[in-house]
Amino acid sequence: MNCATTLELLSGHLDGELPPESSAHVAEHLAACDSCAREYEAALQTVQRLRAELARDRAPDVLRARIRTAIREETSIESTPTSTPELALDPPAKERVRSGSARRPWQSIPWRVAAAAAVIVAAASSGLTLLATGRGESESPVAEEVLASHIRSLMPEHLTDVRSSDQHNVKPWFNGRLDFSPTVPRLDDQGFPLVGGRIDYVDGRPVAVVVYSRRQHMINVFTWPAEGDRDSGGDSSPSVETRHGYNILHWRSGGTEYWVASDLNVQELEQFVGLLRRADSAASQAAPPAK
Amino acid sequence: MTAVSDSTLERFERTMIPLMDSAYTLARHLLRDENDAQDVVQEAYLRAWRHFAGFRGGDGRAWLLAIVRNCCYTWRRSTRSSQNAIEYDDEAHGDHEGGYSAADALVLADSDRTELRLALDGLPPEFREAIVLREIEGLSYKEIGRIIGAPIGTVMSRLARARGRLQKALGIGAREATEG
Repeated sequence: MNCATTLELLSGHLDGELPPESSAHVAEHLAACDSCAREYEAALQTVQRLRAELARDRAPDVLRARIRTAIREETSIESTPTSTPELALDPPAKERVRSGSARRPWQSIPWRVAAAAAVIVAAASSGLTLLATGRGESESPVAEEVLASHIRSLMPEHLTDVRSSDQHNVKPWFNGRLDFSPTVPRLDDQGFPLVGGRIDYVDGRPVAVVVYSRRQHMINVFTWPAEGDRDSGGDSSPSVETRHGYNILHWRSGGTEYWVASDLNVQELEQFVGLLRRADSAASQAAPPAK
Repeated sequence: MTAVSDSTLERFERTMIPLMDSAYTLARHLLRDENDAQDVVQEAYLRAWRHFAGFRGGDGRAWLLAIVRNCCYTWRRSTRSSQNAIEYDDEAHGDHEGGYSAADALVLADSDRTELRLALDGLPPEFREAIVLREIEGLSYKEIGRIIGAPIGTVMSRLARARGRLQKALGIGAREATEG
């Protein structure tokens, strides 16, 4: 075997993809030819570096949410003709492939916006579906609202009203916008950087949402004052439930309702909640929450 | 496809949803844009879902990645037609610099882009997909061939040339002009 043929087969040899006979010929040539042996060495080094440095990218949460929703949406169109009228009749994901003709006005809505709307609709309806089919029949409509808000927040431009990794920007932003003051602890040293905050509407009232992240997972922390007297006890420790692939934790502490939603795994989410609770109780001891 | 049974959906979620990182990775390398990659992966998943009944089991990853790849190329064609873009005709253009110069790749650079990632982004798409499928996904030549619709010999030569280009870009060894 000559040098030209050897170099041509080098990659296949290196990958163990050559027929045994050819591989043997290549090996034979490499043992005899210094220049080809150097090429082989370099190729090997290259491949090792590629494998060491290249890795899979993680698909973002928002994409997972979008895909799940789009598929469920499509499924519900086919099986339940009574589902939501206009968005469901012609899902935007289908439309945008051939988005040239805008026959109906809503078809000209930018598809991202339409998709966001579809997610909200689907989140609400699939939440209901899950409830109906799942274990927890009529439990906690609040969890459902929290989840819908979390999913909605994953759509572009919906995550935060104030976007900052600095607690000193986020915390004051809530002042004057709410009749209570959420604590915004700093947890980035523990691997949960602050993303920002927003105000949302859950359980019939405006609530504070503080957003943290872990890798590419978003964590929404919802807080609002609990009903009744804050000194009358009623504190509860966190309970976890899983809905639609998201983990939702809820507890009540120091007169505040806490809801946390994320698709982060339960272990890390519980770690996060532990940190949050410690930071919050330290903060409330230092200065009682403003009325 | 009329009423979709829950078990089909469950099967899809069990077999296809966990492959999303692979799908996204391939799309991101082919399109070199995170947002485009998200859009295309969503499109690919919907397409996969619609055709899932025809999927007879076997290698779900190769099946899904072939769909993702097709969607990427369709996407590129539809967005390229509005620009004065060079279409890649693989064998004809494979050895040239490709439609993007190193300067383009630099413009595309994120803070997390390594030297290697930049070099990879500078390669033509058929080289990028060969590298992703082999070095990241660890697929065999046969599986790669099935995904990209090419014979095994083509897979091997493409991979060899892609690696050669990266080797040069990374300054490994002293490779002579042995390709072509």
